[in-house]
Amino acid sequence: MSELTHASAPRRFIGGQLLGSSQLVLGVILAVLCIAISIAAPQFYSEANIIAILRQCALVLIVASGMTMLIITAEVDLSVGASLAFVGCIGMAVLNSTHSLALGMLAALAFAGGVGLFNGLVVTRLRVNSLIATIGTMMMLQGGVYLFTREAVQNHNQLTSFTDLGAGYVGAVPVPVILAALIFAVAYVTLRFTTLGRYLYAVGANEKAVRLSGVRSERLKLFAFIVTGLCVGVAGMILSSLMNAGQPTAGRGFELTVIAAVILGGTSLLGGRGSLFGTLLGVLVLKVIDNGIIILGWNQDLQMVVPGVVIILATYLDIIRNRANVR
Amino acid sequence: MSLASTASVKAPPSLLARLFARQELALLVCLILVIVFFSVTAENFFSMRNMTNVLGQASLALTAGIGCAIVFISGEVDISIGSLLATIALPLIIIMNDTNSLLLGVSGALLFGLIIGAVNGYLTAYAGINSLIVTLGTMFIMRGGVYLYTGQRAIPDDASLDSFIALSDGRLFNIIPYSAVIAIVLLAAFAYMMRHRPFGRQIYAVGGNPEVARLAGYDVRRVKFICFIISSLLATVAGIILAARVGSAQHTAGLNFEFQVVAATVLGGVSLAGGIGSLSGMALGVLILQFLSNGLRGLGLPTEWQLVITGMIIIAAVAFDEAKRRRAIGG
Repeated sequence: MSELTHASAPRRFIGGQLLGSSQLVLGVILAVLCIAISIAAPQFYSEANIIAILRQCALVLIVASGMTMLIITAEVDLSVGASLAFVGCIGMAVLNSTHSLALGMLAALAFAGGVGLFNGLVVTRLRVNSLIATIGTMMMLQGGVYLFTREAVQNHNQLTSFTDLGAGYVGAVPVPVILAALIFAVAYVTLRFTTLGRYLYAVGANEKAVRLSGVRSERLKLFAFIVTGLCVGVAGMILSSLMNAGQPTAGRGFELTVIAAVILGGTSLLGGRGSLFGTLLGVLVLKVIDNGIIILGWNQDLQMVVPGVVIILATYLDIIRNRANVR
Repeated sequence: MSLASTASVKAPPSLLARLFARQELALLVCLILVIVFFSVTAENFFSMRNMTNVLGQASLALTAGIGCAIVFISGEVDISIGSLLATIALPLIIIMNDTNSLLLGVSGALLFGLIIGAVNGYLTAYAGINSLIVTLGTMFIMRGGVYLYTGQRAIPDDASLDSFIALSDGRLFNIIPYSAVIAIVLLAAFAYMMRHRPFGRQIYAVGGNPEVARLAGYDVRRVKFICFIISSLLATVAGIILAARVGSAQHTAGLNFEFQVVAATVLGGVSLAGGIGSLSGMALGVLILQFLSNGLRGLGLPTEWQLVITGMIIIAAVAFDEAKRRRAIGG
């Protein structure tokens, strides 16, 4: 762990370059993947397939946008998968009883934001390590969702606006993709061009220095936890719209996919270093792999093996590049 | 450990405060409180049979927890142990089905575990990749590999060797399950190593401050490498016990197991930051969670409530510990 900081942390911060080294590696990986898959299966570049890939990216990217902010502040949230399932069930239940998309959305955001607030308070006030705190929250949510509902909450409202949330289009672009792009853009601008964003990096890099310079570091972390929660709220509603039900079993392992995408994008788990653009590339790489495995007709269980190899490989290539740069 | 030393620097605290400054003692009191509470409230809780059953159930997390704690103390993490449980069951069951030999099966499983540990250790210690990323990766690779190989079906144990079955339901002197005996022996051996052998002290040094450890002449990379191998081998032992218990190689074996073990280890006072904690603390953490879930079941609470309450207790316990630590430092 310590070697990683020595090797790479100081260099990344200096440049205002658009592409850090890990993004470059990822960009190359992505390009090679796309070319290789499209040679083997020309239908990869069909419009329908590209839209399918983008739609699958949307869910992960929404949550990964918040998670990137959070990991930049040197914290992590493992409860997002469990929260995703719970949010879908609650949102659907509220929709069924009120027949109002706005109220359903509000309930989902309130719940997911509340989970983020809870995580954030436990970490910043009670000083519990976020890995452990959010494992605890994950257990509570996994148990809680079954106490809330034993089986899937079916869609009894038949609101077209709700169905559009997951399956609708604006022009040729699916609604989830537009939502993901919006959230990504806001998060990107916040991290890159605002004082708040710079402070988020600073908290992750050196929390003590930030506190000594008179900024309340706890509030920044709390903010990142709540944002992550709200992102889960949006993603949970889209997922339940896509499945046309609130599934208590949804989102198993989702947290690991999200974190894998963020790490793959070059964001350091030690905090203070990373970019949303990298996260976008990370999400794309993982989902293009998933898609390639399907259209090449390979065994779908490879969808677990290949990302595992890619995460390790990409991180290793990044380290090698950084070592070369230092010399 | 660090608690005791920080406490002793200040003016002499009261006896009670001194006792509570010992992490293990506070945990022991918690464990006793849990046992007393459920003995009063839950039927059939405080019986020899139930107590030894809980020990048997705890043996998986106890065995794997030793490795988890050692890796934590060395300053790294290993979250691949859940997938490892499912992976090593394959060579174990397949070799046993082919050869009818427990020894060969277990050797095959341990060899697999050794290789996995060496890969994790090499990538972390020598290639310099963050251990959370490495073990997250190998966790995916192993689980996916098991799904691929088995086609998501369980492989039954056709050999049904008596010695293998004894691992799950055999009891020493008809009282203590063999799985618990194995866990306790391993725990004692590794606790001795951590406290009294040079290598154990090296692990604490490496986790506490790698730079100082390096200057003191320790081979930091080698120490970490070996810690990962220890962790994988111990998880392999847990995987063998699990396979004996379910009588097959299950592709879903050990899902979320890593989270349970990590939670129990941290509850036991082993710090994720490295260099701090003890195996006895880890063992108490495992026992507290195991008695808790057994007791809640005894009260007739559904599994969902067990999850919720366990989650709350983990957060509360670590928060309490953190508050105590800050008070000790802040004076």
